[in-house]
Amino acid sequence: MPTPLTALADTPVDSPLWTRCAQVLAAELPEAHFNTWVRPLQALESDGTLRLLAPNRFAVDWVNANLLTRIGEWLQAEHGAYAPIVTVLVGERRDPAPAAKSPAATALPATARGFGKPAVGIVIGARLNPDTTFETFVVGKSNQLAKAAAQQVGENPGTAYNPLFIYGGVGLGKTHLMHAVGHAIQARKPDARIAYVHSERFVSDMVKALQHNQMNEFKAAYRSLDALLIDDIQFFAGKERSQEEFFHTFNALLEGQQQVILTCDRYPKEVDGLEERLKSRFGWGLTVAIEPPELETCAAILKTKAEATHVTLSDEVALFIAKRIRSNVRELEGALRRVIAHSRFTGEPITLEFTKESLKDLLALQARLVTIENIMRVVAEYYKLRVADLLSPGRSRSLARPRQVAMALAKELTRHSLPEIGDAFGGRDHTTVLHACRRIKALREEDQRIAEDYLNLLRTLTA
Amino acid sequence: MQQLPLGVRLRERATFDAFVVSPANAHAVSRLQELADGGHGVLWLWGAQGTGRSHLLQAACAAAPVSNRVGYLPLLGLEASGEDLLEGAGSLDLLCLDDLDGRVGGRDFELAMFGAYRAIDEARHALVVAASAPPAALPWALPDLGSRCGAAEVFQLRPLDDAQQEQALRQRASARGLDLPEETLRYLLRRFPRDMTSLGRLLEQIDEASLSAQRRLTVPFVRAIIGDAAGDP
Repeated sequence: MPTPLTALADTPVDSPLWTRCAQVLAAELPEAHFNTWVRPLQALESDGTLRLLAPNRFAVDWVNANLLTRIGEWLQAEHGAYAPIVTVLVGERRDPAPAAKSPAATALPATARGFGKPAVGIVIGARLNPDTTFETFVVGKSNQLAKAAAQQVGENPGTAYNPLFIYGGVGLGKTHLMHAVGHAIQARKPDARIAYVHSERFVSDMVKALQHNQMNEFKAAYRSLDALLIDDIQFFAGKERSQEEFFHTFNALLEGQQQVILTCDRYPKEVDGLEERLKSRFGWGLTVAIEPPELETCAAILKTKAEATHVTLSDEVALFIAKRIRSNVRELEGALRRVIAHSRFTGEPITLEFTKESLKDLLALQARLVTIENIMRVVAEYYKLRVADLLSPGRSRSLARPRQVAMALAKELTRHSLPEIGDAFGGRDHTTVLHACRRIKALREEDQRIAEDYLNLLRTLTA
Repeated sequence: MQQLPLGVRLRERATFDAFVVSPANAHAVSRLQELADGGHGVLWLWGAQGTGRSHLLQAACAAAPVSNRVGYLPLLGLEASGEDLLEGAGSLDLLCLDDLDGRVGGRDFELAMFGAYRAIDEARHALVVAASAPPAALPWALPDLGSRCGAAEVFQLRPLDDAQQEQALRQRASARGLDLPEETLRYLLRRFPRDMTSLGRLLEQIDEASLSAQRRLTVPFVRAIIGDAAGDP
């Protein structure tokens, strides 16, 4: 259950008293406690009280139970009889003009701000993401129908297709298309009121409005929109009260020819826990699917995205990434961002080799850890021996050398102590391990074959 | 007679300065510093125990400007209250979630985290996650969240090599005001698990004992305090 939020507008930004108190707590508390409980607090000082605002009920309880006494003592010592009274409550300070911090907010002044007078609880949804427009949406067979429909809605909101229902798997660009329509509507009608709301947010805002007796404001705010973009409606599943409210909002908007766009991770009829009347209404407009893109589209997406950041990607590299990351577009772009960031950081050009290296752990999903047993098995196989040979007391060179290689690998690839490694190799002393590591290090410099063997094994074990 | 150690001691601080940055981890650390400074992004740091995950998350909190609201949630230590704690956490400028892997797969937790993720992303704030595996290797209950995390900036934290580890151990000893002779240092590195968490615990033990015993930290003395690993593997 969300806890009521105290939102206090236009209050002083800093409390010097609290800043000093926090310094004292930082010196006294274990660092982790300080970062977990004190750093999220905000302070408001007025009329002899110091109000500490915490993000949630749990944090309030913890601070009350563990810190309040100490804070009170410190304030007493500093200010004696004039010490303010301390209270801890759930809340968030709204600093004057917080929106000015973000370029997106200034670029889209009319979008998704609070409607109605009181700022509490009825700020609808989030801003449109300035990066997700039709221009940055790469088309392929898998999504061209959805894009065409979305463009038409952008040109004729409320009349072309209402509602527009876009469905498809995660990370394929549903939210992108939805925002793109929002931008298109905004471009034609700059004062249009457009709200992008995730379904889960709709649910939690509604719960808050109910708690604060603000349902009328909540309804009015939603019904005054020119376009409502509701993302991931599968999150409405099983939430009957929210579905009820959404049903009425939805009807009111449709009647007023205000545009509604919905997305879902599956075809509306297939969402369990969604009322039938909602499912059928969702089908009144146009329902379009976005499929996972085919390989060529993936490569095209990568090249386009790279160009947008002034990076040229070779076909070879684009195809390589596209082939390896097949899950969805979001992760594809994530991989690309990673390669580009790595290249910028190291100053190296994006070659195929470089790309493989940058995505190594992503591709191989190297969550598995290298164990000593694993090392023994791979080394034994490589030298055509049995694991038992590596553990045996035998000291002939044909056994001792592979054993030393395995020990050196165990030291390099695991975090086991030298005595533990010695133990694993048939109960040998840690000085034997140390000797093996030194010996192999020296041999890798002198002996080409040992150097190669070692590298091959290293590659096998970490590939 | 034994001298009782005083409550007031030099404490190690988990800051960026106290972190030995190997070339393999340099990029991750530099991105983290940018986010601590008020940057926007989602960072996923993963690696074995002792590669500095918790240290780095705390360092980011410590480095953030005092006027920024930041929060560090060690999810392993706060087992019972993950969902409650995430409520409202999306409004922070920087949210650090430590030891996330154990909570992945729990639908209620993931829903709460999804809410925090979206709030942070929409406000163009920063989320930093530390885990023992990359996002793609975890059993997500919410594909929506798993996919978003999969597209985060994912960095593997690599363990330090021998020389760097020596440097790190020396640095941590001197942060505690311990005079660790070269031989003792080598002894510790040779005889005990070579991850920084285990070594940190050893230092703590040594620190405690040396304060009450008032002795130089020779190898025999240290061996007597912590036992010989070869003797009790």
